[in-house]
Amino acid sequence: MERRSIWRRANAAFAVAAMIFLLLPSLIVVPMSFSDSELIIFPPKEYSFHLYERYVQEPGWVSATILSFRVALWTTILSICLGVPAAYALVRGQFPGRRMLAMFLLSPIMLPSVVLALAFYIYFVRISLSQGELRLVLAHCVATLPFIIVTAAAGIQTVDANIERAARIMGASRVYVFRTVTLPLVIPSIVAGALFAFLISFDEIIISIFVARAGDETLPIKMYSSLVFEVSPVLAAISTMLTVMSALICILVTFVQKSEAKP
Amino acid sequence: MRPETREQFSIAVFALPAALFMVVMMAVPLGSVVWQSLSDETGFSLAAYVKMAQSNLFIRVTRTTLEIALGATLVAFILGYPIAYFLSKQPPRRQTVWLIVILIPFWTSSLVKSFAFVVMLGHAGILNTWLGEFGLGPYKMLFNRIGVMVGMSHFLVPFMVFPILTNLRSQPPELAKAAAIMGAGKFRIFRTVTFPLSLPGVVSGALLVFILALGFFIVPKLLGGRQDVMLSSLVDFYAREVFNFQMSSAIAVVLMATALLAAFLLSKVRGGASILSKEQS
Repeated sequence: MERRSIWRRANAAFAVAAMIFLLLPSLIVVPMSFSDSELIIFPPKEYSFHLYERYVQEPGWVSATILSFRVALWTTILSICLGVPAAYALVRGQFPGRRMLAMFLLSPIMLPSVVLALAFYIYFVRISLSQGELRLVLAHCVATLPFIIVTAAAGIQTVDANIERAARIMGASRVYVFRTVTLPLVIPSIVAGALFAFLISFDEIIISIFVARAGDETLPIKMYSSLVFEVSPVLAAISTMLTVMSALICILVTFVQKSEAKP
Repeated sequence: MRPETREQFSIAVFALPAALFMVVMMAVPLGSVVWQSLSDETGFSLAAYVKMAQSNLFIRVTRTTLEIALGATLVAFILGYPIAYFLSKQPPRRQTVWLIVILIPFWTSSLVKSFAFVVMLGHAGILNTWLGEFGLGPYKMLFNRIGVMVGMSHFLVPFMVFPILTNLRSQPPELAKAAAIMGAGKFRIFRTVTFPLSLPGVVSGALLVFILALGFFIVPKLLGGRQDVMLSSLVDFYAREVFNFQMSSAIAVVLMATALLAAFLLSKVRGGASILSKEQS
C-alpha cells in the first residue's frame, strides 16, 4: 500500500517539475518585460512600460512586426487554398498513388529546415525571383502546408461520407458538394489549422534568414540579430507579446476543436 | 472511362494545385540541391563527397551532431515519459488543462526561448545569481554543451510526450486492473504491463525527436559555444559565408538522407501515414 502511493507521487512530482521547466521561459519573460531598468535584472526592482515604449520608438521593430504579419497572413491564405482541397482528396479518394501523394505533401515536416532553406536560397537566385515578400510567402507556405493538410484531414474524417453521397445522388457536382456540404462542417478544423499556420509563419526563422533579402527584416530575423550582437532588453517586451499570442492561439484552438461535432 | 475511374479522377483533381505547388516549390529546389552537390565547373563530379569524407571538420561536426542529437533525445525521454504517464492518469477534463501547459511552450518561438535561456543561464544570469545566495557558483552554463542540451531538450520534450501519451491512452484499462486483481502493486504493473506495452510509442517519439534534433540550427548557434557546431551550421557556413554551394549542398544531402531514413523507420513503426486510416489510435 505504502509503496504504491510513493511511486505514483514521486512520478507526479517529477512530471510537474518537468512541466514547470517547460513553462519557465514563458514565466520569466513576462515580469522582465515590465522592468524599469536598462539592465536585464530578475525580478525587476521597479515596474513600468518602459520597454514597450522602446519597442515602439526604436526604429525597425514595428516595421519588422508588420512585415511578419503580412507574410504570415498571405502564407495562411495560400496554404488554406491549396491544403484543404488536398486533404479532401486524400481522405475521400481511393485513387492509386494516394499514399505516395500523402507522403510527398507531408514530407516538409520531416525535412530539416536548413535543407529547405538552402534549396530556396539556390532556387530563387536561379529563377531570379527578387520580390522579397513573395519569396518569404512561397517558402513559408511549403512549411505550413503539411499542418493545414493534417488538421483539415482530421476534420474531414469526422464528416459522414453518406451525407456527401446523398447530395451527389441528388445531382450536385463534386465541387458543389465540397463547397456547400463538406466545407461548412469542417470550418473549426480549418480555423485551427489556419491559426497554427499563421503562428508557424510568424515565428519562422531559419528559412527566413536564407530567403529574405537585405532590406526585408522580419521580426524573428531582427530578434535573431539582436540576440547575436547585443542582447537588448526590448527583447523581453517582444517575447512577452509573442508568448501571449502563442498562448491565446493554443487556448482558442483547444476551444474551437472542442466545439467540433464528433460522431 | 468507367464511372468509378471518373469518380476517383474527379476526387484526385482536388489535390492537383497542392501537388503542383509542392513539385515546383519543393521537389525541384531539393532536386537542384542534389544536382548542385554532384556537379562542379567541369560537369558531373563526386568531388564534394570525397572532400567531405576526408575533411576533419566534417567528421568532427558529424560526431558532435550525433552526440548532441542522441543526448537531447535521451533527456527528452527522461523528462517526457513521466509527463505522458502523469497526464494519462488524469481525468479527461484536467488532461485538457495540463495539455495546454505542454502546448504553450511547444508553440512559443524558439527565439523567445533562447532569449529566456540566455537570461537564465548566463554568467550573471538568474540561476547563477540565485545559486550565489547559497555561496555556490558561478557556473558556466551558456555557450557550451549544457546550454545546448537545456535549450534543445526544452524544445523536444513535447514531441516525445504526444506519441507516448497517445499510446498510454489507447491501452485498455482492463489490463492494469487484471494485474492489480492478481495482486501486483502500482510499480509492478507499470514495470511489467504498462511500460512494455508503451514501447512502440517510445520508439516513435524517440525517432521523431532524433530527426528533429539532427537539424537544429538556432539553439546551438545562440546557446552553444564553438565546440557545439552542428551540421546545419556547417551548411549555413559553406553557403552564406564561403559561397561554396557544392559543399553546402553535399552536406544538406547527407542531412536530408538521414532524416528521410529515420522518417521511413518511423512510418514502419507507426504503420503508414496516419491521416489515411481511420482506425489509428
